[in-house]
Amino acid sequence: MTASLPIPLIQTLQVATVGLGAPLVSGVISRIEARLQGRRGPRVLQPYYDLAKLVRKEALAPEGASPVFLLAPLVACACYLTVPLLIPVLTTYGLPLGYMGDILGGGFILSLASFVVAVAALETGSPYAQLGASRAKTFAAITEPVVLFVVFTVALVTGTDLPYVLAATVRSSAGQLVRPAHLLAAAALFMVILYETGRIPVETHTGTNEFGMIEEARPFEHSGPYFALLKWGSMMKQLILYVILVNVFVAPWGLSATAKPGDVVLAIVTLLAKAAGIGVVVAVIDNSFAKLRLFKITEFVAGAFLLAVLGVFTLYLGGG
Amino acid sequence: MTTILVLLLTVPVAAALAAFWLPPRAGQAVTAVTGVASFAAVIALVPAAAHHDVTLGSYLRVDALSVVFMLATSFLYGAVSIYLIGYLKQGDDARTRPGQARYGHRLLAGINIFAWSMLAAPMMNSLALLWVAVEVTTVVSALLVALEGTDGAAEAAWKYVLIASAGLGVALLGTIFAYYAGEQVLGQSYALGFVPLLHAAAHLPPAAVRLMFVLAVLGFGTKVGLFPVHTWLPDAHSEAPAPVSALLSGSLLAVSFYAILRYYQVAQAALGTGFPRAVLLTFGVATLALAALSLLDQRDLKRLFAYSSVEHMGILAIGVSFGVPVALVGVLLHVLAHAAAKGNAFMGAGVMLRKLAVKHVSVVRGDGQAGGGGLDLLPWSGPLLLVTVLALSALPPFGVFRSEFLIVAGGFSSSHDAVAAVLVVLVTVAFFGLSATANAALLGPAPDRPGAALARGEPSAWMVVPVLAGLAALLVLGLHPPAHLTELLTRGAAELRGRS
Amino acid sequence: MHLLAVGTAPSVFAGGSNVIALIVLLLEFGMLRQALRRDQIRLYAAQSAALSVLAITVAAARNLPDLYALAFCSAAIKVVAVPLVVRRLLRDTGDEIAGSGGLSVASSVLVAIVVAAFGFFAVGTLPIRSPVLPITALAIAFAVVLVAFVLMINRRDVVSQAIGFFSLENGVSLAALVVAAGMPLIFEVVFLFDLLVAVVVFGLLIRVHHGRAESLSTSELTSLRG
Repeated sequence: MTASLPIPLIQTLQVATVGLGAPLVSGVISRIEARLQGRRGPRVLQPYYDLAKLVRKEALAPEGASPVFLLAPLVACACYLTVPLLIPVLTTYGLPLGYMGDILGGGFILSLASFVVAVAALETGSPYAQLGASRAKTFAAITEPVVLFVVFTVALVTGTDLPYVLAATVRSSAGQLVRPAHLLAAAALFMVILYETGRIPVETHTGTNEFGMIEEARPFEHSGPYFALLKWGSMMKQLILYVILVNVFVAPWGLSATAKPGDVVLAIVTLLAKAAGIGVVVAVIDNSFAKLRLFKITEFVAGAFLLAVLGVFTLYLGGG
Repeated sequence: MTTILVLLLTVPVAAALAAFWLPPRAGQAVTAVTGVASFAAVIALVPAAAHHDVTLGSYLRVDALSVVFMLATSFLYGAVSIYLIGYLKQGDDARTRPGQARYGHRLLAGINIFAWSMLAAPMMNSLALLWVAVEVTTVVSALLVALEGTDGAAEAAWKYVLIASAGLGVALLGTIFAYYAGEQVLGQSYALGFVPLLHAAAHLPPAAVRLMFVLAVLGFGTKVGLFPVHTWLPDAHSEAPAPVSALLSGSLLAVSFYAILRYYQVAQAALGTGFPRAVLLTFGVATLALAALSLLDQRDLKRLFAYSSVEHMGILAIGVSFGVPVALVGVLLHVLAHAAAKGNAFMGAGVMLRKLAVKHVSVVRGDGQAGGGGLDLLPWSGPLLLVTVLALSALPPFGVFRSEFLIVAGGFSSSHDAVAAVLVVLVTVAFFGLSATANAALLGPAPDRPGAALARGEPSAWMVVPVLAGLAALLVLGLHPPAHLTELLTRGAAELRGRS
Repeated sequence: MHLLAVGTAPSVFAGGSNVIALIVLLLEFGMLRQALRRDQIRLYAAQSAALSVLAITVAAARNLPDLYALAFCSAAIKVVAVPLVVRRLLRDTGDEIAGSGGLSVASSVLVAIVVAAFGFFAVGTLPIRSPVLPITALAIAFAVVLVAFVLMINRRDVVSQAIGFFSLENGVSLAALVVAAGMPLIFEVVFLFDLLVAVVVFGLLIRVHHGRAESLSTSELTSLRG
């Protein structure tokens, strides 16, 4: 019988997994993408080197920018490091701080991060950064109701809005997994994730087409360690969203049910593998579809909205 | 009696094939003989049906209600088949063109099949087959509407087939719920027979019956021309060839209304009278109001008559919703009288179009470009059309007056005073609209035409005879309906009220 | 009353069949935004295929051999024949049907959501129970019918209107599957007959239409009004 890990340590490990694993997942995705395109691609560990290099560089701020400009990356990163406390990253059982906030709470913290980044982008006076910020907020006006409806679905299915409970409900029976409401909510969430992480068909995340940029345009004016923080932040955001998708909706298996070190380590590995799996799907989508024209993005998010609303409808009919 | 049913189901099809393959004159003769013979055959059914149902196998069943509608259809079939001889006459006017022979073949065959499907629908004892028959009427009539080959005809046919088919899709949903309701009581082997459903009505699940009835009214109502779904009707009626318009208006709408009546019988037996009557009353009043107001603003003669059909369908729905025997007898009489009057109106309009060699008679008030002159140019058809319009507006001594009088009397006697009063007002409004435009078309000056002025005279005597027959029928219905017919209508009304 | 049912998950069969029914509905929504004629037809074929899959599922789960026959016949007609005929009829016309809607795509989707919600709740609250499929599928069928109406009303091109009608028929079939799955032969005949008729009539009319108006848009067909 091996000794159990102390609960606070597991809690810390959740945050550490997200924080340290995020660049790895990004690296894996860009590697897969390159392979799909027939290139050799960068090393899997490349994002770590990028971040390390950026941290060593000098930081510049545009003239006239207020302290908000420099504070924003710190606040955003703090937000992204808080969210893993609330969601089931490694364990099937709720950790003490996991009851600090529900899904909505997590959503609020994520949108706070996105809000401060947008404010910082407006600070710069750079047209591209401002364009990206304003577009992001415009489309967010539609994606936020989608997230709300997804939360409603969760709340109706489980009777609570705690992510741990939903994951447990999904695990409980195969009937739960094929519930139309559940599938619709998961699909809507996936579309929102594609939007939030700046993937095709919403935007090309690797390109340099400034006119079509949303997510990528916002940190244009940041540099040095601050830019590193923003990049790291968006990698963490991506991983957090993936974790919510897999561990709460699609495949909440492979989590540790105990506090034993072996189980926890296994859970970390499984999580990163599952996130990479989602990454493969995203990369395939990236390579098989074209980017939508900007004004067609409303159709994309309207589609997500449709799925989420239908999910709630079917639930109310008692057949979802 | 059952032989007549079999003949009615086979001979028109044979006539259609003959008309398609035989030379034009022979085809016209076959069609005319078949049409008149069908009318005679249905008349022969009247005494029997006035006393008992005639059934053949489990799929064919004719009761008094069916015969009333078959009477309307077969009368128009006969009238139109004679009218067609004149309509297809090779003349020196615009109708002589290379495709003339093919056009004639198609029109003759189409009319035969169209009449056949409308005769078949009331004979069906199964709700599914009833739906199929109504669908066949849609298909055939859509193709007939498109027959003229003009842009307008293509548009009208497209609109018609799209709206009517979608409506029939809804009616099919209603049929499915009829099956569901019947299955709850009669078990899996239930095959949508009408009689078993009616007998089991008291035990049917009310929610399903309610849904069934609303879907059926909305679905078949599309073809009847009830208010929100009437939009195809004026276009199709005004663009189709005149004989087709006559059948569409006098017979097709009535047959679709017949389908609604069947569902009404079931719904009434299952739910009591309140709900089904309320539904019909709502649709009826809305339809009548819309049609009466639209009539005030029509300039095209055939569109005018089309809206008049919508008006009369509204009257029918209101009459059924009154529910008392007087009103129901009035409704059934109205079906017959309207068929005769509206057939006359469209055939008369067809004569005028032929005489003026145009596709539309438009009365444009004010700028002098009137398409009138009906009375000046047509010694027989002009006055006949004028009298028809008066008959259509429910003036005595014609059948429409008698039937509307019965319906209104039924309304007052069933303490629907307000509705009956509204009905009278709206019918009066419709009368103004109808007579204003029709009179302008008939009494106004003939349009100025480049070239030789038109000579006074009828295009063909064959096109006058059926109109005279229609007027005679209207007079008979209005002055003194035969005893057998009265019995038939009374029995039909009793069926509509429910036998229990 | 309905909230009570929310907590418990439906069975795998009920959930699965609801998912297929929802796919039918989603494909109907997809038709609201298609910009190309062949994609529109393809969506219809996919929808019909989903419906046949559902019919086969029901046949297998509820042991209704009749349904297999119906599923295969309707698949043959709706998945293969109808798309083929429609495509052939329209071979020599342009492929672009985008922008024929009176409303923009996003707003027509929103309108359709409202309409579908009406269908959902109007039917979902009825005390109608089916032995073969959950009542949700019936509500979805009504939503499909209503969205098909939105499609037919909103789009002004012949293809979308025709496909709208065909998919309306799919909605009716879905409803029939729910409430009348033990269908006697008569219903199957009705369906196939209806479809054949629809193909013939629409085919002829599209031909006429195309020959006359030289375009697939009905927006120029506005002479008949009032």
